[in-house]
Amino acid sequence: MSISFPEQGWFKAPSAGERLWIGLAIAWCLVLTLAMPYWHFKGKQNSTGEAYRVTPAEFYQRAQKFIEAYKVGEDRYTAIVQPPPGTDVYLTARMWRWDPVLKLKKDQTYRVHVGSMDLNHGFSLQPVNMNFQVVPGYDHVLTLTPTRAGEYSIVCNEFCGVGHHTMAGKIIVEE
Amino acid sequence: MTQPNEPKAADVIQSEHEKDEGSHRTPGTLVLALILLLSFAVYYFANWKALADTWPVR
Amino acid sequence: MATTANGLAALEGHVPDEEKPGFKTGNHAGQVRTCETTGLPVCLTAQRFIRLNAVAAVVFLLIGGVAALLLALTRWPTVHLLPADWYYRVLTAHGLNMLILWIIFMEIAILYFAGTTLLNTRLASKGTAWVAFGLMVAGALAINGAVWSGKADVMMTSYVPLQAHWSFYLGIILFAVGALIAVINFLATLYIAKRDKTYAGSVPLVVFGATAAAIIAVVTLLHGAVVMIPTFLWSLGLTEAPDAAWYRLVWWGLGHQSQQVNVCAMVSVWYLLGTLTTGAKPLNQAVCRGAFVLYILFINLASAHHLLVDPGVGAGWKIWNTSYAMYLAVLASMIHGFTVPASIEVAMRKKGHNKGLFGWLFAAPWKNPGFSAFFLSLVIFGFLGGITGVTLGTQQINIIAHNTLRIPGHFHTTVVGGTSLAFMGLAYYVVPLIFQKEYPAKALARLQPFVFAGGITVMAIAMSFAGSYGVPRRHWDINFTGAQFSAGFDSTAHLMMGLVGIGGTIAFVGLLIFLLLTVAAVFFGRSNAGKKMEAW
Repeated sequence: MSISFPEQGWFKAPSAGERLWIGLAIAWCLVLTLAMPYWHFKGKQNSTGEAYRVTPAEFYQRAQKFIEAYKVGEDRYTAIVQPPPGTDVYLTARMWRWDPVLKLKKDQTYRVHVGSMDLNHGFSLQPVNMNFQVVPGYDHVLTLTPTRAGEYSIVCNEFCGVGHHTMAGKIIVEE
Repeated sequence: MTQPNEPKAADVIQSEHEKDEGSHRTPGTLVLALILLLSFAVYYFANWKALADTWPVR
Repeated sequence: MATTANGLAALEGHVPDEEKPGFKTGNHAGQVRTCETTGLPVCLTAQRFIRLNAVAAVVFLLIGGVAALLLALTRWPTVHLLPADWYYRVLTAHGLNMLILWIIFMEIAILYFAGTTLLNTRLASKGTAWVAFGLMVAGALAINGAVWSGKADVMMTSYVPLQAHWSFYLGIILFAVGALIAVINFLATLYIAKRDKTYAGSVPLVVFGATAAAIIAVVTLLHGAVVMIPTFLWSLGLTEAPDAAWYRLVWWGLGHQSQQVNVCAMVSVWYLLGTLTTGAKPLNQAVCRGAFVLYILFINLASAHHLLVDPGVGAGWKIWNTSYAMYLAVLASMIHGFTVPASIEVAMRKKGHNKGLFGWLFAAPWKNPGFSAFFLSLVIFGFLGGITGVTLGTQQINIIAHNTLRIPGHFHTTVVGGTSLAFMGLAYYVVPLIFQKEYPAKALARLQPFVFAGGITVMAIAMSFAGSYGVPRRHWDINFTGAQFSAGFDSTAHLMMGLVGIGGTIAFVGLLIFLLLTVAAVFFGRSNAGKKMEAW
């Protein structure tokens, strides 16, 4: 019994049934273990965690410079910015908005720098459903390639105070 | 413990080391475990598929 | 001569009586009673603290449970009960009362039981047990005071630079120190049992598993100290804010590992309830113990799961921590997931239930809530909790899961459908055996595990589906009313959120039955002192 003292000599090899299961379990664990490095080299979706330390003030300045350079319009008091493909893009999270609205080209790759002005935020691209953490003090670089045209929302999915559920931004992907 | 005449745990604890091991056939558990492994694999690979349908990111 | 005699004895497979595995002379100095039902020696000091900790656990389960109902009714779109500020407040209270207070008080009770009764020893120190209990209660009250008065709307994780009132952090520190002292008291009890030779042989499997939980708990609580003390000082205005990424890394050393304490404690309770309800015996002690050792060695690196889409930690670090350690700990769970039901199968087949593949399972004592809670816990933890946990914790797959409702969908099947349900099953034995009180309305108690398990299963699966549509966790309004840009989710996601509300409400009913019956039994139940407990 599980509450009794095992007989002497309890340290012995498992029975055939147990051996079979443990063998299968180890094989499965190996599959799980190898899947991640495989995807890292062969797969297209990887969170490499590329990031640089940055103060919120510094990040804000870079983001402002970026907005001024590529601004093409305004929507609900928020700049719409259309950067050329391949460039560095800045997306700022703060309580409780995302700045600016990004206008990207389908099948082009952008280095999207996501930074926070205040608390932790969650970059959640919907309805694609891709999610990344935004940590204050860090410039998180996501090298993204939109694959479908349309309008997407960025919602915040890390609790950031009582207005958390009103934090939504926009990405427009054009053909 | 549910039957009034069953031996008390303490007695079993004292005498257990003298008992014979007996058979250890557990085919039912093995089938349950294989069902678990199969559902595990289906769910796991379905998730890789769902991931592959999102935007490329580095 | 003596050597020869010993040699002969060994040759013939005999061992002298004092070395035969089993109980020897206890060290209780009279402070002991013999359990009428099991014949086991119950240290009276330990019994008092098992009772105290179990009562505290149930009180916080009640608070967390009421919070759970309010949350379920808020996330149910057509009900949407609470206002936003109260939703986040109640969510903070729910996490802390359930995941920290209820579970850890219960685990301390389990440690005091496993350390003393199963090893025929007294509790190492009564004074220390009082100090531990006092600190834990003080901490629990400080936490609840800060949260309910609206000074700590920071979620259980309290990611800096989100700041709570200092009394919140102080409460966590007091509670953690108290728990650490209790764990040390348990380890000291193991020591004096060994020293006083109250038993011979290797400790029982349940004690081994409890010890593994205790070791992981020490590591966990040390992480807690490392992260909470600077945060506390910062909340007092004495120091700068800790780095936000550093906080997340070390906090999860506390947050994730405490879940591994729960897993370890839960698996020990599975083995215990398997024995109590069916007389099951571990098939192979070496395999079961080896699996516990795997937990101790490898489970800590799994904290990385929470940082898989974080900035600042690289792909290599993420993959290494997830794959290498994680899967050896997963292996351990897969081993327990086999050996636990296998031991039941062997026990039931020995009793003659040999029909077909699953005759033993149908013949199992499903009317005994100790058994049904344990077995449902095993199934929910393995099939739902384990599978989703490993998948969501895969480095790249985490991109489509992080901070969505898939995460609570996962952990409500591990820590609620798994650990909490197993602990409820344990209570159906703790109350008659340690409180020496009989449960009233036994028919209702027989039903309770099924109601709770059913509700939690519906809720968790609905959460997982909603999360796969992108619905965030910890979120008051998935329609984003008043947001700058429109956002939201399709009708399927809303349907799923309705099921979250319904499942959560059913689970609350199951919880309420458990609470009412347990409180009724402890305070008004028929005493069975001097008698065997009634059969379930």
